[in-house]
Amino acid sequence: METEKEIIIDDNNALLQREGYFFKEFPSDIRQVRFFSMLIVQKAPPEIKEINLLEQQISELIKNAVRHGNKNDINKKVRVWADFSIDHAHVIVEDEGKGFQKLEEWNEFNKKRNECFASQNFEEMEKYFAFRTEESNENDGGNALFAALEYWDGGVVFNNKKNCIAVYKNFGKKKYGLELNR
Amino acid sequence: MEIKLKKYSSVYIVEVIGDMDLYSAFELKNIVAKMLAKGIGLFVLDLAKVDYIDSSGIGVLIHIYSTIKKAQKKLKIVNVHGSVEKVIRLTKLTHYFPIVPSLREAVAQLES
Repeated sequence: METEKEIIIDDNNALLQREGYFFKEFPSDIRQVRFFSMLIVQKAPPEIKEINLLEQQISELIKNAVRHGNKNDINKKVRVWADFSIDHAHVIVEDEGKGFQKLEEWNEFNKKRNECFASQNFEEMEKYFAFRTEESNENDGGNALFAALEYWDGGVVFNNKKNCIAVYKNFGKKKYGLELNR
Repeated sequence: MEIKLKKYSSVYIVEVIGDMDLYSAFELKNIVAKMLAKGIGLFVLDLAKVDYIDSSGIGVLIHIYSTIKKAQKKLKIVNVHGSVEKVIRLTKLTHYFPIVPSLREAVAQLES
């Protein structure tokens, strides 16, 4: 059985390394989140398929940083580091907020959510559609990190302060279990 | 995002055109609420012209489906494709949403 996926909290995790990466800094302006995300995605090689999906997943991280991390404070910055190849995407997003305090709670919530989904218990499932805190508003989907944990198959890691998230995606070939040494 | 409404016998087809994202997805929520208030009971949501959805858009889909269900009305979602289909799958909601392959089937199921 596949090991249970969860968000890792670890200052020393290799995914938090960002030396020599492409770097951009943005003001916390929710209106420009998708534009910022597109600026990052432009650095990805054109061979990467589903660039729409990659942009969407990066956009969610920046949106969380702007809205939940920096609380839409325009004076607070969101910093993004990225590294792409045809085989991978590695993105780090840091905000100036006090950190995602409910991260452990989120992991527990996600575990229960997965149990419900595995048993296709639709009644119970509805409780787990959205992770909400007292700070959520009605336009928060509350579901972005569930998809993130599935999409970023190389891991989702926070630093100990929980204001910096690092994610890694493997593209393509390794799924087939066959190394093409050319 | 643009929304077009069409009526086919007793079924209302809500066609969404463009991105269902944090900037626009809420519009769909408002329109469906108004339609429910008018007593409309059979809905098809056509996503053929939606190539992008984010967590806010997913949130809106969840919201409208649960609102329509609570009102004891019916919804089918059609033409889910590309990255929209992927995001729904990543969120593990593929089997929750009433997704059917075509508009024709959706209408047939709603009218049966």
